[in-house]
Amino acid sequence: MTNQAATATPAAPETGPEPLPHGLGVSLPAAEDRAKTEGTFPYAADLWAEGLLWAAVLRSPHAHARIVSIDTSHAREMPGVRAVITHEDVPGTPMHGRGRADRPVFASDVVRHHGEPIAAVAADHPDTARMAAAAVIVEYEVLEPVTDPEHAFEAEPLHPDGNLIRHIPLRHGDPDAAGEVVVEGLYRIGRQDPAPIGAEAGLAVPRPDGGVELYIASTDPHSDRDAAAACYGLEPARVKVVVTGVPGATADREDQGFQLALGLLALATGCPVKLTATREESFLGHAHRHPTLLRYRHHADAEGNLVKVEAQILLDAGAYADTSGESLAAAVSFACGPYVVPNAFIEGWAVRTNNPPSGHVRGEGALQVCAAYEAQMDKLAKKLGVDPAELRLRNVLATGDVLPTGQTVTCPAPVAELLQAVRDFPLPALPKDTPEDEWLLPGGPEGAGEPGAVRRGVGYGLGMVHMLGAEGADEVSTATVKVHDGVATVLCAAVETGQGFTTLARQIVQETLGIDEVHVAPVDTDQPPAGPSSRGRHTWVSGGAVERAAKMVRTQLLQPLAHKFGMSTELLQITDGKITSYDGVLSTTVTEAMDGKELWATAQCRPHPTEPLDEHGQGDAFVGLAFCAVRAVVDVDIELGSVRVVELALAQDVGRILNPAQLRARIEAGVTQGVGAALTENLRTNRGVVRHPDLTGYALPTALDVPDIRIVKLVEERDVVAPFGAKAASAVPVVTSPAAIASAVRAATGRPVNRLPIRPQAAVVTAS
Amino acid sequence: MGQREGATGLTTHAPQTAQAVTLPVSLDEAVAALSAMPTAVPVAGGTDLMAAVNSGQLRPSALVGLGRITEIRGWQYQDGHALLGAGLTHARMGRPDFAALIPALAAAARAAGPPQIRNAGTLGGNIASAAPTGDALPVLAALEATLIIAGPGGARREIPVSHLLAGVDMLRGGELIGYVRVPLLHAPQVFLKATGRTGPGRAIASVAVVLDPARRGVRCAVGAIAPMPLRPLDAEAWVAQLIDWDNNRAIVPEALTAFGEYVAAACIPDPVPAEDGTLAPLPPAVLHLRRTVAALARRALGRALS
Repeated sequence: MTNQAATATPAAPETGPEPLPHGLGVSLPAAEDRAKTEGTFPYAADLWAEGLLWAAVLRSPHAHARIVSIDTSHAREMPGVRAVITHEDVPGTPMHGRGRADRPVFASDVVRHHGEPIAAVAADHPDTARMAAAAVIVEYEVLEPVTDPEHAFEAEPLHPDGNLIRHIPLRHGDPDAAGEVVVEGLYRIGRQDPAPIGAEAGLAVPRPDGGVELYIASTDPHSDRDAAAACYGLEPARVKVVVTGVPGATADREDQGFQLALGLLALATGCPVKLTATREESFLGHAHRHPTLLRYRHHADAEGNLVKVEAQILLDAGAYADTSGESLAAAVSFACGPYVVPNAFIEGWAVRTNNPPSGHVRGEGALQVCAAYEAQMDKLAKKLGVDPAELRLRNVLATGDVLPTGQTVTCPAPVAELLQAVRDFPLPALPKDTPEDEWLLPGGPEGAGEPGAVRRGVGYGLGMVHMLGAEGADEVSTATVKVHDGVATVLCAAVETGQGFTTLARQIVQETLGIDEVHVAPVDTDQPPAGPSSRGRHTWVSGGAVERAAKMVRTQLLQPLAHKFGMSTELLQITDGKITSYDGVLSTTVTEAMDGKELWATAQCRPHPTEPLDEHGQGDAFVGLAFCAVRAVVDVDIELGSVRVVELALAQDVGRILNPAQLRARIEAGVTQGVGAALTENLRTNRGVVRHPDLTGYALPTALDVPDIRIVKLVEERDVVAPFGAKAASAVPVVTSPAAIASAVRAATGRPVNRLPIRPQAAVVTAS
Repeated sequence: MGQREGATGLTTHAPQTAQAVTLPVSLDEAVAALSAMPTAVPVAGGTDLMAAVNSGQLRPSALVGLGRITEIRGWQYQDGHALLGAGLTHARMGRPDFAALIPALAAAARAAGPPQIRNAGTLGGNIASAAPTGDALPVLAALEATLIIAGPGGARREIPVSHLLAGVDMLRGGELIGYVRVPLLHAPQVFLKATGRTGPGRAIASVAVVLDPARRGVRCAVGAIAPMPLRPLDAEAWVAQLIDWDNNRAIVPEALTAFGEYVAAACIPDPVPAEDGTLAPLPPAVLHLRRTVAALARRALGRALS
């Protein structure tokens, strides 16, 4: 890595010789690293309870069918089977769903996607449970599936709520404005699966009071608890969600349908019930990235300044709404990208189909439009004969500019600086200049690549995402900090999904209280809600809440001393377990000041409110924005169409670096997910039925597919409204990398490349 | 209740019922074990079999493990041929000493998936699974390899690999693939595969080209595009007579290009014209596959002759 900018961040005031890494701005390693490396970290699939039963879910083999009858008698009679439940056995509300409660817990009259749950079984052995699920006889009347989202508008309603989930007609500026240069394009984005490394798993334990405890790898425990309580017909207090080790989450991780079934089985049998999804079930059940169809028209003047953008964006939501409305808002709002566009007319629709369900996957909405508007910028540059980076620089957004939603960008938006940084970074050496190095050709080390057929291309992508929930969502988090005996404990229901929140919480407390030993308590729903672990929320709201709670504890700790010394608490500082006054005259230890007391404080963090987009797609809908620039260098074998990404150079707007190593890891992980979206990841279907729901058929990037990732610049311009001034870092590299890779393939081949993932035939250059 | 410590203990996939697992140490013992338990399934590397077991598609009542049969884990020479044990792993075949003998098979073995798969997967397993994407298969087809099948009572019979792959001659109950006899041609051989990605992946198309200088022949097989490897015999014969065998096996570049197209057109033929004489063009994906085969065949022959 060439970049060392991260280490230049001012760290905690350090005194004395070489203290351990501590506080904000240092690379504190995660506490659970060791357990995860040694394989002792307890994930949800490792849970165990005495006398537990195993669950299995029967899922629909059809994308669209009417259920004529369900016969569970054979399954019930099998030895070892303890319960078989269907839609008739749901005591509470039969519908659930994250964005909108439109999804049945178990399908009753109709199945709307391949893999929709129909029944669940609990048995004394996992094989018995699976065989019993297979023995449930369901008679289907197969219906014609709606698989093309364009047909959803006039198709028979797939759902009582209709096929249109949301429509946003964004109108901004003068509809008659026209540019001298016009470029058009049609773009298609595939279905990316979040593919967490650990499939869904959980354990439900009935409680003596008639309630139930769910031990699951939830990323949003309180919402999952509320959904479960509603489904079970219990008051929320009698359902408890305990979050277990989360084996990877880049999306709303869990398929709620399976959690609900788990608890119903535990309540029905009175025994603990465990369910571990197979990889196939995992692919079928959880939410995917919205496949999207985008039609664009960009107008520019002769100098290449954007005049108007017209776009139509169609999101395939699958059978149920989930959070498609939010994804659509992001897609429509960021349809023009981080560019100044005075006139924008964007129509967005999210529609119902019989395809696999779509929902929140990081970079939702923004990834799809980024690939399209950057392709348009490339087309415009080609038509005008301007360098693509130069054209982008003429149009980039800055603080104070107005988004097409009418919202003024008030946060730092150093887009030009990011683009210049990646543009001016030296290009990787050409293979002919470094003949002694082995050249990894497209197609891999044992592939068919031939140097003579390889063309190199360089492309750019500029991306933006919003942070936190949008459009009036109440983004609040609550945290408690406790200090006793020189040890601090943080209680906060923010789930550690691998994003590093627990490490950050420790750093915040270390920074504020000067206490090295900080523990973060496990999460359950007895704690106050902290909201979902997504959209970069927890650095902001939960980090902010932890900081406030820690500051309150600090005040409690210092107040008596300040009183004694006759000075205000601001004049005292805590370092390495010692409290000193500003002039160094007065000094005592934290332990002494604590005097055996236990100090507790609880605080909330709630960012400034947002408003929903109005009927013209206008409104201050977003709390914060983050930006990124990526320059991709690719090698393309123009005969076979195989693409290898050689290098991705990235510059990102991060506000403030709180943990350099963790930040770097998040960016690299994001870029890797972006490489997958650009080249290989697409969950294919045939008439709505998922083909190859396994990790052989669904190709995730391997170490050979991932390029050298150069973090060229991390711009630290603090966002004044964000706690610590930090911006969430994980999502925006995912959004921007695919657009940059497509741009580079375009440069290498001269082909339009209007589809993600890029298929080999789109990167072939034929002789004619 | 409590959280389980560590990774030991019960897993979701561990069947409770005890399964009969036999671990014979010779081919004949293995055949005897299979004959004694007709429902038993032989397992070598298990890279395909265990995936089916884990996904619940297969619950073999008994297993006959072939991993301890040392006689099929190496190779020997036999009048101008190599007798390859069916238990040779891809990792072993990928090593330089093996590559010096049968270069194309070594290349196919090195390209066959990630190291974990190559360490476990075997030559015999690749043949027995007969997956269209099996990387060894086009090489064996081009080499016109012969399988030596071990049967009950020490019986041995030989069938051409293509007969087994085409289903002309099937394995009978209790039979196992013991050895694969491959001619040693002492000439360049090339195996190329297109996967559409840089990391290990299944072939979209693969081509094996072997030269047989003694007979002045070129043999080519195309894998992954059909249920079994395809041999473009006309293209082979045509290109063989364009090679100047006495002069460093020289060939004009145009002939390489034409060979590629000949192979591709033979394996992915043009659609038959409709009754009114109109010709539907090949779908774009098929056209791309044909171009891929053409490029692979041209490159493979070019590398073999260079």
